[in-house]
Amino acid sequence: MSTKQNEQDILQRLNLSRRSFLKSSAAGGAAIATGGLVELQTAKEARAFAYEPYPRDDQLETVVTSCAHNCGSRHMLVAHKWKDVIVRLSTDDGRYQRNGYFGKDSNEEPQLRACLRGRSYRQRLYSAERLLYPMMRVGERGEGKFKRVSWDEALDQIARKMIHLKDTYGRTALLDQSYAGASYGVLHKSDQIEGLLGRFLGMFGSRTSSWSVPSYQGTTFSSRMTFGTIEDGNEDDAFAHSKLMIMWGWNPAYTFHGGNTFMYMRMAKQRGCKFVLVDPQYTDSAAAYDAWWIPIKPNTDAAMLAGMAHYIFTNELQDQAFIDRFCQGMDAGTMPEWAQGKENFKDYILGTYDGEPKTPEWAAKICGVPAKDIKKLADMYAKTKPAALKASWAPGRNAYGEQYNRMAAALQAMTGNIGNLGGSAEGVGKAWHAEAVAYPYDQYANIWFQAIKSDRWAHCVLNYPNVKREEIGLWQREDETDGQIPNIKGIFWQGSDWFNQLTNINKEIEAINKLELVVCMDSTITPSGLYADFLLPIATHFERHDVALPWYKGHYYIHRPKVIEPMGESKTDFQVFTELAYRIGGDVFGKAYNPKANRDYFHVNDNVDEAYLREWWDTKVIPHQHVNMSWDEFKQRGVYKFNLAQPHVAFRDQIENGTRFQTPSGKIEILATSLAQITDWKKTMYGYEIPYIPKWIEPWESLNSPKTSKFPFHLISPHPRWRTHSIFNNCSWLRETYEQEVTMNAADARKLDIKTGDTVEVWNDRGKCVVPVYVTERCMPGVAVLHEGAWIDLDENGVDRAGNPDMLTLDEPSPAGAFAYNTVLCNIRKTDLEHRPGWDKLATSRAHVFRRDL
Amino acid sequence: MSETKDKAKIKEAVKRRKRETYTPVVPDLQLGFVHHNVDCIGCRACEIACKDKNGLAAGPRFRRVQYIEGGTYPEVFAYKVNMSCNHCETPACLPTCPTGALFKRKQDGIVDIDSTLCIGCRRCEAACPFGAPQFDPSDNLVKKCNMCVDEIEAGRKPYCVMACMMRVLDIGPVEQIWNGELQSVAIGPNDEVSRQVQNMADVELTKPSIGFIAHSKGKVK
Ligand code: SF4
Ligand code: SF4
Ligand code: SF4
Repeated sequence: MSTKQNEQDILQRLNLSRRSFLKSSAAGGAAIATGGLVELQTAKEARAFAYEPYPRDDQLETVVTSCAHNCGSRHMLVAHKWKDVIVRLSTDDGRYQRNGYFGKDSNEEPQLRACLRGRSYRQRLYSAERLLYPMMRVGERGEGKFKRVSWDEALDQIARKMIHLKDTYGRTALLDQSYAGASYGVLHKSDQIEGLLGRFLGMFGSRTSSWSVPSYQGTTFSSRMTFGTIEDGNEDDAFAHSKLMIMWGWNPAYTFHGGNTFMYMRMAKQRGCKFVLVDPQYTDSAAAYDAWWIPIKPNTDAAMLAGMAHYIFTNELQDQAFIDRFCQGMDAGTMPEWAQGKENFKDYILGTYDGEPKTPEWAAKICGVPAKDIKKLADMYAKTKPAALKASWAPGRNAYGEQYNRMAAALQAMTGNIGNLGGSAEGVGKAWHAEAVAYPYDQYANIWFQAIKSDRWAHCVLNYPNVKREEIGLWQREDETDGQIPNIKGIFWQGSDWFNQLTNINKEIEAINKLELVVCMDSTITPSGLYADFLLPIATHFERHDVALPWYKGHYYIHRPKVIEPMGESKTDFQVFTELAYRIGGDVFGKAYNPKANRDYFHVNDNVDEAYLREWWDTKVIPHQHVNMSWDEFKQRGVYKFNLAQPHVAFRDQIENGTRFQTPSGKIEILATSLAQITDWKKTMYGYEIPYIPKWIEPWESLNSPKTSKFPFHLISPHPRWRTHSIFNNCSWLRETYEQEVTMNAADARKLDIKTGDTVEVWNDRGKCVVPVYVTERCMPGVAVLHEGAWIDLDENGVDRAGNPDMLTLDEPSPAGAFAYNTVLCNIRKTDLEHRPGWDKLATSRAHVFRRDL
Repeated sequence: MSETKDKAKIKEAVKRRKRETYTPVVPDLQLGFVHHNVDCIGCRACEIACKDKNGLAAGPRFRRVQYIEGGTYPEVFAYKVNMSCNHCETPACLPTCPTGALFKRKQDGIVDIDSTLCIGCRRCEAACPFGAPQFDPSDNLVKKCNMCVDEIEAGRKPYCVMACMMRVLDIGPVEQIWNGELQSVAIGPNDEVSRQVQNMADVELTKPSIGFIAHSKGKVK
């Protein structure tokens, strides 16, 4: 099926001789037999009954494994199975590690206890929404009408279409929208930048990459600029040592960020640590840690931080010795030679150049926090040591969100709370460094032909070719294609429900109809999947062999064996890409893509996966990390926990031993060298100017803008507790513990005659959704909270009845790439429209549609 | 389901129930739960672990983490009270059962339901002041927490306890829970355990085997 042009292209890319290609290409087109449906052992057969007789754990087979999605943690799951059915799941109880025993739960090697989502995994695994065989769209995009096809037919058509799109529209035709949704392991990896899909499309020779990360791009930018790395985090046990902890927009009780962080924070509390929460909501974290709650208007955080900096400077409470030694651009004394005479951070705070001192009173007008509270907090932070200002991601998901994160980093530095036990430089918060890669990783890992800001794809598709590079945040290229606007004609989703999760869904709906190929690879049907041309059933992490990594905190590996056989005709992502590679480019592409595999990998993958993993353990983990456990012992135990000599604290080495920071100057860059040297912003991926020192910049909409006359509420959409983004939305256990609802302040609700349980419309110029209300005193007046990730369920007027806030968000990223998820004004009113909490009712029937053989 | 019940077994069970109504079973050791109302983050991992363990569909909830909040913006507070079955000293559920399906174990005081005898009449559900018995429409039975007897017999602890992300839920001999002798991370260094918290049915009704570390606003007297 490959065209001449395509063959040549792949040959060239993979730098392989024509001869070897010709010799082997004959095998490339071999058709594969369509496998029949694997007969399922239904969960029902083995269902645990509440009372005797039911299978007790000890009568079942025990298999250690873990969760696998992008929640912010990575906890152990222990499957108790009967034949090929997982009867129930438990979690780490201390037994499985080396020298373990039931109940072992030490500070050094804490148990890795799963959260409610992990514990409900059986519902996802055995859900009615599970995709069991490849499907092809027969109705309109979004209509949800598919017919079952064989793998052979699906892959054949996809391969043909890919080649056609590349030949016709070129190297930017296919948009990579892979994400860390369900495949975060060392081998089977879905990832925005360097996952299995990126490598596949890059080798194929047509890939537009999406570079900004939805959850924390503002934060990533800040950490890179300030510290030169995103590994600015402490391990979670370090949190037990703080004397003051400021949770800035951070709600670990909801997000379970970092394995056991919340548990160590309890330890800190027991040792007398004081907690503060700066957040529009009085969260469960505030309650559990008995925090001083400072309600703040959304998207004004940088102003409040600037007010605190002013108080600290004017009262000379800063740690000047620390500043002099480690910082660049904090004040006149720390300005580099080349920047003499330019504005430094202290100049900005004192208003030396702009005539506007950023006093607590100035800040109070913007952020709604009384000046006396700003001063009090600044005083506490400057005078308590060690103190952790945990600047979380959410306030960074805003217009100019990067300024908030940069400002917070400046405060962490000026109080000298970096690199010390009990302090915090987080930020991104990534701590311990794992050996993360067992999949083939080489020069093809991240080939891209254009890269855009992830939330600008619809804009790019709808306006092509009349798009300016700065509008889509085009990454610079070193060749003649620099600045070329990508001509996107197809999308691949792998471990990604981005259609449901990116901003301004109505605009996405418009754009998707312009595409010629949409492929969705997932283990369940998703709202994105409804818009796909092909649905490919992907094995869950229970159905393939891998090793789990801690997500961003924690120091351990968890073995993830194939616990059960893949359900239906599911295949792993790696199998699908390998097979596609063979079909498109014969043995050359196939072998290059998956060097350890043979042509039959689509049908037999166990040995190959084992070989990759064993090699990773033997050549990376054992030698690089001084692990004295064999791969076989690791497999038998299921977990390896590292025992660190002291709690891992980011930048300890820099502060204690004077090692350079990874920034251009080797210092903590309050003045970012690289930003200060940019002259033509349009040619950068940012597109628009970003100040080289942190500054407060007015967002395009907030409670302070005139638009509030029409849209008086500021809508924020934090991560929910009962889903990981959109994953698990279909689990009834979770659905009965929490519901999708909009939270609003009691006084606001009274004015609108709204009570808890009423159904309301939440809307603005971009879209509308329908949800029930939770009225509470725990929310700041003027603020509405609606958790992201509900599965869109549109009515005939395009109103989302499920309550997805991204019907209202704006697809306008911040210059540094931060998604402006939390920069949204809206209005709210009671409605007669019906809220549809899930796909259950309607949706069970929808699930039937998915399975119907047309 | 009721038509398949063993009549003879019911007869015997009813006799036992009558006897135990007048002279309640005095267990050799009474196990009970302890929960920290403040340090609990309300994540409900315990609830889901329980549902999975017991194979329950949406609907019946053996363990229920209750969210309590109050105050007026911005002076607010919030805490959690987590309860399943309290395996009471004088269970209100037990005397109401027409078939004698409910029983209290001598060795550890656990109150359990023999599901082969339960006819799903839901009387115990109405009688329990804590809402512990849960009707399961899928098989027309009332079910409730049995403190994971199978795990206890295997020398381990219940699923909910082993699920707790904050380690603030535990079990132990209830006397030790109340008098502060229990060695458990659920109870912090300076914590006091109370038997009664706000908005909870009077403990004198059934003498529930549970202790709480109460929130300042949840303390009684
Ligand atoms: S809590 Fe309710 S169901 Fe449990 S023993 Fe007490 S009265 Fe019976
Ligand atoms: S002890 Fe067992 S049955 Fe009872 S609430 Fe806990 S997990 Fe559920
Ligand atoms: S698992 Fe623990 S912290 Fe979570 S709700 Fe249950 S008792 Fe509370």
